[in-house]
Amino acid sequence: MHTISFHVNGEPQTVRVAATMTLLELLRDRLHLTGTKEGCGIGECGACTVLLNGAPVTACLILAVEADESTIETIEGETRNGQLSALQQAFIDAGAVQCGFCTPGMIMSARGLLRRNPEPTDEEIIEAIAGNLCRCTGYEAIIDAIRLAAAANRAREDDSLLDAAPPRDDEGAADG
Amino acid sequence: MLGDFEYVRPRTIEDACKLLLDGGGEALAYAGGTDLLVDIRNGLRAPKILVDLKKIGELDRLETRNGDGTVIGTAVPLNRIAEDAKLRTRLPALSEAALTIATYQLRNRATIGGNLCNASPASDSIPPLLVVGATLHVEGVDGPRNVPLDGFCTGVKKTCLKMGEIVTGIRIPPLEEESRTAFLKQQRIRGHDLAVVNLAGALSPSEGSLRIAIGSCNPTPLLLDPIETGSHSLDALADEAARMAEAAIAPISDVRASAEYRRAIVPVLVRRLVAKLMDGKEGA
Amino acid sequence: MTKGQPMADLKFVGKGISREDGVDKVSGSARYTHDLVVPGMLHTAVIRSPHASARIVSIETDAAEALPGVRVVLTGEGLCYRLGLYMQDKCILAREVVRYQGEAVVAVAADTLDIARAACQLIEIEYALNEAILDPRDAMQDGAHLVHPDLDSYDHMVGVFFPKAGTNVAHHQKIRKGDFDDAFESADVKLSASFYNPPVQHVPMETHATIAQALPGDRIELWTSSQSPYTVRHLMSVAFGMPHASIRVHVPYVGGGFGGKAGLGLEPLAYVLSRSAGGQPVKVVATREEEFNTLPSRQGLHSTIEIGCSKAGEIEALKSTYVWDAGAYADYGVNIGRAAAYSGGGPYSIDNCWIDSYVVYTNKIFGTAYRGFGHLEILWGIERAIDMMARKLKMDPVEFRRLNLLKEGDTTITGETFTSGHGSPVGCLDAAADALDWETPSAAPSEPGKVRGKGIAMLHKAPAMPTYTSCAAVIKLDEDGGCDILVSGVDYGQGTYTVLRQIAAEELKIPIERAHVTWECDTAFSPYDWQTVASRFAYMGGNAVIEAAADCLRQIREVAAHALDVEPDDIDCEDASAFVRGKPETKIPYGKLALGYTFPNGNSIGGPVIGHGRFIATGLTHLDPETGQGLPAQYWTYGAHAVEVEVDTETGEIEIVKIATALDAGKVLNPKLVAGQVVGGVIQGLGSALWEGFRFDETGRFLNPSFVDYKIPTAKDLPRETERIFLENPQPGGPYGARGVAEHPMISVPSAIGNALFDALGIEFTTLPLSYENILLRILETHAEKE
Repeated sequence: MHTISFHVNGEPQTVRVAATMTLLELLRDRLHLTGTKEGCGIGECGACTVLLNGAPVTACLILAVEADESTIETIEGETRNGQLSALQQAFIDAGAVQCGFCTPGMIMSARGLLRRNPEPTDEEIIEAIAGNLCRCTGYEAIIDAIRLAAAANRAREDDSLLDAAPPRDDEGAADG
Repeated sequence: MLGDFEYVRPRTIEDACKLLLDGGGEALAYAGGTDLLVDIRNGLRAPKILVDLKKIGELDRLETRNGDGTVIGTAVPLNRIAEDAKLRTRLPALSEAALTIATYQLRNRATIGGNLCNASPASDSIPPLLVVGATLHVEGVDGPRNVPLDGFCTGVKKTCLKMGEIVTGIRIPPLEEESRTAFLKQQRIRGHDLAVVNLAGALSPSEGSLRIAIGSCNPTPLLLDPIETGSHSLDALADEAARMAEAAIAPISDVRASAEYRRAIVPVLVRRLVAKLMDGKEGA
Repeated sequence: MTKGQPMADLKFVGKGISREDGVDKVSGSARYTHDLVVPGMLHTAVIRSPHASARIVSIETDAAEALPGVRVVLTGEGLCYRLGLYMQDKCILAREVVRYQGEAVVAVAADTLDIARAACQLIEIEYALNEAILDPRDAMQDGAHLVHPDLDSYDHMVGVFFPKAGTNVAHHQKIRKGDFDDAFESADVKLSASFYNPPVQHVPMETHATIAQALPGDRIELWTSSQSPYTVRHLMSVAFGMPHASIRVHVPYVGGGFGGKAGLGLEPLAYVLSRSAGGQPVKVVATREEEFNTLPSRQGLHSTIEIGCSKAGEIEALKSTYVWDAGAYADYGVNIGRAAAYSGGGPYSIDNCWIDSYVVYTNKIFGTAYRGFGHLEILWGIERAIDMMARKLKMDPVEFRRLNLLKEGDTTITGETFTSGHGSPVGCLDAAADALDWETPSAAPSEPGKVRGKGIAMLHKAPAMPTYTSCAAVIKLDEDGGCDILVSGVDYGQGTYTVLRQIAAEELKIPIERAHVTWECDTAFSPYDWQTVASRFAYMGGNAVIEAAADCLRQIREVAAHALDVEPDDIDCEDASAFVRGKPETKIPYGKLALGYTFPNGNSIGGPVIGHGRFIATGLTHLDPETGQGLPAQYWTYGAHAVEVEVDTETGEIEIVKIATALDAGKVLNPKLVAGQVVGGVIQGLGSALWEGFRFDETGRFLNPSFVDYKIPTAKDLPRETERIFLENPQPGGPYGARGVAEHPMISVPSAIGNALFDALGIEFTTLPLSYENILLRILETHAEKE
């Protein structure tokens, strides 16, 4: 068993895990953050995408022990103080959500993209989400949503939601 | 996750080698895990110990020194390979090949060393490294050795590594300014896919040679004999290369493609690769 | 007569209202069955058969049962139930024999998933291999190995389905209109061609998942990722001999269905495990491999089509023979075979049409409902054959279709009269052709070795459902003037709940924000709906909501009339208030009527306002077993796809330059949602067209049960351009004139592409998928033939 300490959506956590536990199991079964989904278990579908130290990764193929001393962001952290982010709102407005099962992973991939590239071209958007499978929408509306969110962020004076690192427990929650 | 393994995270290469040797065949190197964890999940491999290499500093470097070639640590993730500006200038074939592997998320984890040591016949990183004569730096309890990449893969998913050995770095010899490399991959779909056929080529004007490596057509990626460029026209060179390729490959039919399809597209892709190399454009 | 408010004044219906459930889904708070935890629940692992056809000789479970944490190990031996909606041929776990590679043989329920999986590794099963019959055409031959030797003992829907005892034929549907033999004999131009569709999978992003609890007193509670809570309840009731009210089914958010979650899935297994575990709840979740290898698919199809035409281009005779590869079990397969037959003439006027649709057992993964319900499969053949015939006649494919499409007064192949209420197939044809600039041939691409071509294909479908299919809705008014709508159709992404909100708000005259559909279906309190399949929920649910709203308004008017001392007919409703007509100052807000009305002196009248509405399919008849004549269709929806493709003739790589889809929707209830259905359906259709198909080896072993080798379209695989055109010729009886359009966007995508490939390459493709490899190998074959 390993004792690991890490931050999830700004909250510190310390847990003991077996070596064989995956990060996905840690998030869903231990921490009850069920927003991150399992779609295939082999990294092919992207439904389990989270940000690990800011990088989009598929949690099903990461061991929980590797979360030690890391910062993890999941879909639950995208909403701050009950307020949807511009990205989440864009998904709703653009009709990019149907059954919703791929949506958390899509949004996390998009969040990772907008952090490293706030003004992506359509091609760059596609490259960022190509590892997230969707069977319902046909992707057009999802690409529209991310484009919309990028534009909304450009128009915002306050970029705190765009690229703020998740608040640590000593800083207090970020403003919505 | 099914399985019954312990996890250790050595800080030095020496410690890692020792752990692997002591574990017999039941300790396996763990870097990106994108092949290994899938195999464990599918019951194809059942290690007792995973030796995580990701905290070993030397394995994480990516250095391009003028006149002295490039050294890539084997634990460098593929996205970093794809995005490194200097590498893109020097060896665009490798940068492009890296971009075709799996998905953005997986490339944040999958490492170049993992891709090499997995030794899939369809590996996308091996052909670009073959055509530039890369050598692998290997460490083991008996000390270090250098192994040419050509010959490193001994069969389908088999390498010449001995128990307790780790590939720690990939050395790419200095390439002259005018040399050009290119990569092509045929997939079944534009979305992420394993190669039905992949190819890399390196053109060295000063040596007057063209080197081509072909993947997914033999038990290991195959480096063709060098072709003299001489005063050949583009068409003649492409024909010669296509002929050599057709003679050298021994594709099988598998769930991804038939041998017939592979045979049909190899000469097409070789010609396109040669055209790409000869047309003066870098990379893509 | 279309139902609903006058079109000119619509506030919400026809608008692109965003879905309410979007908030839950984008924030990660939407809970799917995958996410649910019931305290004390056990986890399940399943052992799948490695063989396509074998006798189970022995199963050794002692070591597994002894493993700490293992609570139940079940085999098929104690489970003598036969399940099915139309044909009861399926067991919960394999009994005595396995009939397909991937069939569930043993199930283990344990404290954790890891323990359950470890226990499976300790179980030893001995099989004796049997002959496996893999091709349905072979399975139809005399003397073929029988997949179900006891076929004649199975219950089935009598009078609708006709299994042939002693054979592998689960059902044979016949259409006999006119005299094909005669008409074909005397036709000027004849054509015969054969086609093939492989089986494919729905690939919902959420795999099947169920939690079941066997409650004391012989009751069952289920939480399940399903498209049909009431069908689950009914079939469990029949299978386990319990009253319906003893079984409670909850359906939370569902992560996609596409037909694969209609009917029964994992529910019976989860229940018997719980029962054997002394009533502990048991969760069963399919891995992605099990979703491919164990859970059902879309049936494969071999079809042969013969067409006879006059010189002038009129279709005089059409004959189709369908051999459906049902796989090991044929429950939904028989209904697909039936629906395919009555749609088998395509949207054309044909005086002499014979169809024979055989649903045939093989030792492979079994088929079930899949978006399109047989129509993508048959239209692959029909629309390709139509194009081939056009070429034989030297007619433009659009002109040939225009000449033969059903028009007012024509009869369909089951004897139904085509009216203007059906919509306009010709209108869809023209719209799609225009969108692709049909008159102008494709321009040659600049890159050498690439060619382009254009193709067009029609589509049609009616809901394939029993003649008694029904739906109900309940609307409860809230004391703040809003409402809760209860239905049991499931919104698994289509957005129908949003449409129902729009309809309710429109009918009740309340703001859209105040109308809510209660998200989770619960058979304890949500009223009946047949199943959410067949593109019928917006139609039937919409009508039920209209009626429920009218019922609410009737109750409101009655109480308001009493309160205002007038007759109910004198009361108008507007802006969530009731008032005396012409005297708006008398208005009483709904909130003051929703729980009854209280006079100033304290007297109270009325009571909680709860409206009830329902819809039952009307006028449908069974099909005559010999001739197939009858009225199977509540409504037909017609459409067309037109596409331009670009092909790399040296690698076979194909790209879609543009695809246009025209549908006669009757009324677009919500343009944003309908657009989502169309884009999503077209891309799903593209998957069937270019990449998807199950692969089996010669022993029947499934070769590609994962995303590594079963490829579905990604964001990188989109057409360069898409267009959608909606015609709105109203559907009589539809809510606001709307028809169902949910399945239709994928139905003829492969056909249109196949037709475009002829234009591009001069090659007739008859087999799906149109993979790069298949395209290139045909190109090479064609060149070789020419030399």
